[in-house]
Amino acid sequence: MTRAPVAPLLFGAALVLLPWSVVRVFLDTPIERQMGTAQKIFYFHLPMAWICMAFAVVCGIAAVVELRRRSVVAGAVAVASAEMVLIAGLGMLISGPIWGHATWGRAWTWDARQVSAALLWLIFASYVLVRRYGAAGSERLAAALAIFGAAEVPVIYYAVKVWKTTHPTTDVVGSLPPSFWAALWPALCALSALSLGLVLVRVRLELLAQQLERQADS
Amino acid sequence: MSLVGRDKTSSMGPLPRQAWLLVLHDLRQELREREIVSTTVFFTLVVLVMFGLSFASLGTALHPLIAPGLLWLCVMFVGSMTLTRIFDREREADTLRALLVAPVERLAIYLAKATVTLLVLLACMALLVPGLVVLFPGASALATNPSTTIALVVLGCLGYVAVGTLFAAGLATGSGKHVLLAVVLYPVTSPVLLFALVATRALLEHHPRVMTYLGQMAAVDVLLLVLGAWLFEPVLVGVGRARVP
Repeated sequence: MTRAPVAPLLFGAALVLLPWSVVRVFLDTPIERQMGTAQKIFYFHLPMAWICMAFAVVCGIAAVVELRRRSVVAGAVAVASAEMVLIAGLGMLISGPIWGHATWGRAWTWDARQVSAALLWLIFASYVLVRRYGAAGSERLAAALAIFGAAEVPVIYYAVKVWKTTHPTTDVVGSLPPSFWAALWPALCALSALSLGLVLVRVRLELLAQQLERQADS
Repeated sequence: MSLVGRDKTSSMGPLPRQAWLLVLHDLRQELREREIVSTTVFFTLVVLVMFGLSFASLGTALHPLIAPGLLWLCVMFVGSMTLTRIFDREREADTLRALLVAPVERLAIYLAKATVTLLVLLACMALLVPGLVVLFPGASALATNPSTTIALVVLGCLGYVAVGTLFAAGLATGSGKHVLLAVVLYPVTSPVLLFALVATRALLEHHPRVMTYLGQMAAVDVLLLVLGAWLFEPVLVGVGRARVP
């Protein structure tokens, strides 16, 4: 999986799509009437939030495989995905408050969606810490953490439905006009290609590191 | 020594009986020593005094806003202390390993440890909740709706215990790295306490959706208990053979 030149292809696609998405977002899309130019953050905030949640689920699934079949590849996928959750999550947690400050007048409102997203980030930060600094056998504990982290994703999704929040509901995405989608797709594809490429490279690095460790032990 | 694929038939009878016997054993040990209950109840009292010193001078109108946070923050502190102590006891005597190789269902071990932790937490809550009502009169709804308060506290503590028991046990079987319990426990138990926080605030503000929030907490508790029970054996002893590419 990791030997095929998939990662360079993904990086190449991202290299083309990222500048194009910036042009679409800033030059070809109309300025939203109520929020003004601050709304442009949406085109990067939303893909980062989706990437963060998608890799949290991937990490959870890989952790299940790692626990049930003790697969080294699944473990490497889980580690790489968790680190991507941290990166995309950081982007989401930084871009969200900038948008919030421009639209609601406050960067952080302790809204259920914001808090649950921050908690997801903390759970995966905890996962990375346990993987890095835990004693022998702690990868099983880390895998359980990843599974609980993945279970937190539906909480983030439904937070705006079950609790009263200031965050826009999930229905907003479906009601976007075609001109907004035309800018959202390139940004989503560019950031997805970049994140997937990075995860594949990280998986390969992790497998090589483990191989080196095994050789050093034997 | 392989722990995988061992004979599951037990000389201690069916699962509920095994769990019950393990709970009785832990409670008997606690009744003899009174170490965990006395230290955690004392710690609850200390936290309560600290909360009082820090926040009791705030106006009554603010009490419904701060009391839920204080309640569940204290559950977090006391819970991590209880879980550490419960598994330290096993670790010091190396009895957790003995328990894992004994002809006992691992699920029974999980259920027994979770039950004992829940009982200790509820004992602390019996002091904490009235204490909060005395220190923060604006949170008196906790006293005027006793049945809802009891349901809220039991459901909140149950969710915490369902997650906490799994991770405390996982760390207890490893070697050292106690500091990781705090690193793991606080983030992973926060989502369930977020549900509890929302429900407590709704109770204090006499919100009509309190029962809905309690229903959500019950659903989350069931999910966490199922996850905790399912993961207990793989986390503690692992399953299957390693697959190296």
